[in-house]
Amino acid sequence: MLIPRLFFILTLAALVASPTLAAPPLDEIIRKANNVSYYGGDDGRAEVAMTITDNQGRTRERLFTILRKDIQKDGGNQLYFVYFKRPSDVRKTTFLVHKFIDRDDDRWMYLPSLDLVKRIAASDKRTSFMGSNFFYEDVSGRNLDADHHEMIDENDTYYVIRNTPKDPASVEFASYTVWIDKKNSLPMKAEYKDKTATIYRTMEVLGVETIQGYTTVTKSLISDLGTGGNTIAEFTNIKYNLSLSADLFSERYLRTPPKEARQ
Amino acid sequence: MKLGSRLVQIPILRPKLVTALLVIFTLALGALISKVHVDTDPENMLSEHEDVRLFHTATKKEFALHDVLVLGVVNETHPDGVFNPETLGHVFDLTEYASTLADPNNPEYKVVAQNIIAPSNVDAIIQAGLGQVSFDWLMAAAPTTQEEALRIRDLAMDNPLFKGTLVSEDGKAIGIYLPITSKKFAHTLSQQLNDKIATLSSNGDKFFITGLPVAEDTFGKEMFIQMAVSAPLAMLAIFLLMLYFFKQLRLIISPMIVAMVAVISTMGLLIGTGHTLHIMSSMIPIFLMPIAVVDSIHIMSEFFDEYQKTGDRRKTIEHVISQLFTPMLYTSLTSAAGFASLAMTPIPPVQAFGIFVAIGIMIAWITTIIFIPAYIMMMPESSLQNFGVKGASDSMASRGAMACSLRTLGRFVHNWPKLIISTTMLLTLVAFYGISQIQVNDNPVKWFTKNHEIRVADQVLNKHFRGTYEAFLILESNLEKLSPAQAETELATMFKNQAVDENSKAVVAKALAILTRTAQESTTDSMLSLLEANMIDSQNKSNDLFYDIWADLVAQVDTFRNRDQIFKRPDVLRYIENLQAHLLEIGVVGKTSSISDVVKKVHKELFESNPEHYIIPDSVGAVAQCLISFQNSHKPDDLYHLVTPDYQKANIWVQLQNGDNKVMETVVKEVKKYMIGYPPPVQLNYKWAGLTYLNVVWQDKMVSGMRDAFLSSFIIVFIMMVLLFRSPTWGLLAMIPLTMTIAWIYGIIGFIGKDYDMPVAVLSSLTLGLAVDFAIHFLERARATQAKTGSWTKTITAMFEEPARAISRNVIVIAIGFTPLLLAPLVPYKTVGVFLASIMAISGLATMLILPALITILQGWLFRKKHS
Repeated sequence: MLIPRLFFILTLAALVASPTLAAPPLDEIIRKANNVSYYGGDDGRAEVAMTITDNQGRTRERLFTILRKDIQKDGGNQLYFVYFKRPSDVRKTTFLVHKFIDRDDDRWMYLPSLDLVKRIAASDKRTSFMGSNFFYEDVSGRNLDADHHEMIDENDTYYVIRNTPKDPASVEFASYTVWIDKKNSLPMKAEYKDKTATIYRTMEVLGVETIQGYTTVTKSLISDLGTGGNTIAEFTNIKYNLSLSADLFSERYLRTPPKEARQ
Repeated sequence: MKLGSRLVQIPILRPKLVTALLVIFTLALGALISKVHVDTDPENMLSEHEDVRLFHTATKKEFALHDVLVLGVVNETHPDGVFNPETLGHVFDLTEYASTLADPNNPEYKVVAQNIIAPSNVDAIIQAGLGQVSFDWLMAAAPTTQEEALRIRDLAMDNPLFKGTLVSEDGKAIGIYLPITSKKFAHTLSQQLNDKIATLSSNGDKFFITGLPVAEDTFGKEMFIQMAVSAPLAMLAIFLLMLYFFKQLRLIISPMIVAMVAVISTMGLLIGTGHTLHIMSSMIPIFLMPIAVVDSIHIMSEFFDEYQKTGDRRKTIEHVISQLFTPMLYTSLTSAAGFASLAMTPIPPVQAFGIFVAIGIMIAWITTIIFIPAYIMMMPESSLQNFGVKGASDSMASRGAMACSLRTLGRFVHNWPKLIISTTMLLTLVAFYGISQIQVNDNPVKWFTKNHEIRVADQVLNKHFRGTYEAFLILESNLEKLSPAQAETELATMFKNQAVDENSKAVVAKALAILTRTAQESTTDSMLSLLEANMIDSQNKSNDLFYDIWADLVAQVDTFRNRDQIFKRPDVLRYIENLQAHLLEIGVVGKTSSISDVVKKVHKELFESNPEHYIIPDSVGAVAQCLISFQNSHKPDDLYHLVTPDYQKANIWVQLQNGDNKVMETVVKEVKKYMIGYPPPVQLNYKWAGLTYLNVVWQDKMVSGMRDAFLSSFIIVFIMMVLLFRSPTWGLLAMIPLTMTIAWIYGIIGFIGKDYDMPVAVLSSLTLGLAVDFAIHFLERARATQAKTGSWTKTITAMFEEPARAISRNVIVIAIGFTPLLLAPLVPYKTVGVFLASIMAISGLATMLILPALITILQGWLFRKKHS
């Protein structure tokens, strides 16, 4: 279970049929991919450098630390804490997620210069995360139950799974297709299609390492084909099983972020 | 004239060969017309390399701005205006539909779907209760109830970026702003939209399409129709009038052929040499036709009067050509010079127009000289038998009426020369007052007549909204670069301010040491990079006690490094806020939008939508955090229409309800005044972009360019007159009618309040060319006659016979011949039609009144001087 993986994870749901003779059942593939992507270890920490590039090649940086703690078994509820370091004028901005499997996540953001804690509405799952091409939902994972899943292809390397939303009005995509690596169970690629079946958004994993025995994504890319912009996220200083206290993920730490996040 | 007499032998001896060659020449050049490439973009009034245009293009790219078509939906019948489920359903459907549209012939021309401004494609910042702010699509789906519709209204009205732009303040209109990749798609897109609109249910909704790109592109399409209708109609009218005057169908076909040859070969040359068919060059046929026909009419008129004397066509032609060769050469050269002078303007389409009209005039001249005689020689002698004699008797009534009036006019001039001259002087004084009243102004939307759908849409939408005309005021940081030593001083102060206790003092001391060391770097950039890297090293090595202190200091270095991100500074944003407020006060600006508006709106929403928080917060950090909050939306990049990602350039989007150039000029002047009167808190450069502004720039260039071109061609024509008459006095005399004509024409323009726009500006060249023609013919004939008769009294009587009739026929043929232009739905063509007629009438009269009156007064001196 890895923290950074959250960044590209994509859904996968439980109930689905059509298992082939050789392959494991679809729901197992999906669940495993979700676990490898978002649930490495009992907790974790990483430094994230995001480079946002627009269609003119202009770049912006976001540098932050992300902490994660699982409070249930793999695939269950989780806590996330994000601490911004750069740009320096948004430094000390913090972001907290209480992720629930059976209901909408709770999310807060603290803006230090305004000394203001704001809750982020549940409906804003698929809006930009701090101006990047990542969505909030890419950070903490999309609920597996939100989509229907079907295996549309399988080859030596990948399971290719198409996901269609159960509530199309709540999302901007009509479907998205994920390529799950058979060896490491990671979703290595995803393509989002709009109503006209045009691919308008893609996710690609650009780097994978094994850290403390956990398969970990170290670099990923999300591209918006509509605007021509993209965001690369690179993960460094990745550590698992730090025995983070659940207490650190409470609202009061938004204003006084824990050392684990600051350093 | 020897040359003329020799030249005319060729068509007389080999008429068929001459005709064949002419046909081949015309067809060869005419074939090139098929390669036509139409360009109706007024931007091309400026060279592609013009600074302002390069800046405009760069700005569009930098701020991701596109040319925009505005689709306005208006409902005046529903009590809540457009905010009802059915109308919003239409808006939703139209937006969905529009987002997929592209030009079927060129898929590169399309709607830029992600940048559409429409209720379903913008985020509303919503108070979601319990300290929550949410970014939701303003209209994710068409509402089903009136309550939902009203909620959309209230959310939109509360957003300063939408109010007056996306939704009208009276709630009766919604604007869908469709950005397009190329202006050339505008007309096709508006047709595609109209097709869709026709399928919508009718519930009192009205739909209007406007925006400069539509106006410009539609103008191009209609220009073609216009050329295909008006030019042939003008030709037909000229033809019928000549038929009336000369009664000889076969004979008068020849001037029409001359005009066709001139127009076809000139347009072929223009297109064949790679020029585009621009608004200006589309007028070449209309300008060329009268000039091409004029020479032929002189020959016809003379032939008409002379043929009956000899009954020998060859002798008659030789006589006519020897009489007219010099004046025709000079009239053509002067007209050509008048137009060629336009090559000196800095406006490429006007240059092409001038040069090719000049070429066309010379083609018309040589065609007249060699083809008209050939044509007459090829006619069966029998068909000429009754020409002149029969014609004269047939048209006795009309000819008699004209002849009688002209004779009366001649006597009047001879008897009252001083009255004529003093009246002329008085009228000229009045004209100069009129000229001083001239308003230089243009507006591409006003190229359409008042009831044209584009004019109507423009009027309706600018009544409801804060303006469909856009200009962009681009502000740019002009901070001076600091040397490493200066940076060291400033950073040292910043560091020392952090030293508040034992621990921080220890860290600051170490940081200052690193600072001193890195300040030895040669550039400030490398110094700051090294400084930051070294400090991060120390931070990573430090214990928990010192870690955060180091982190704070490193952040300060980063802040310092980004000190040129001035558009996050509260003082700069407040300056922009005040500038915007000032722009609204001057009365012609409908609305402005800037990054300051975004910051204020977000700040207010972060504080529970409390109106007291509709302000710029006090620190860079607070501004930056408002902006990053804004970027947590569906469309974070929307911010970069108003500021660049490096925060060194900002765009104030100015909307005007009136696209007149003089309105834009007022705004430009006010901004300049404000920036000088109230200097910004940091050094700022500013520049304008946007189509409305570009129009002002090329207009300025046009006005000064036309003035220079006119003055230089005036001097050239004067020198040619002096050479022609071998006398400065006579040369000066020839300049008088055209000077008066131009003064009066522009005086009238000033008095009636007609704006001095592109077609009006070009008319000065036409006036110069046509008015001097009459003077040349008149003076040349007057001197020849005077030499024969030796008596001015006899000469003036003779002058008011055939020469005066030729001038009058010319005036009438061309003036009436161009009245079909008045039927045009495009104003520039109407303008040309009206003024062409006026120029002909005034210059004809001026020639026939002023010249003989002056000669009468000065006869002793003029003729004695010549003889001595």
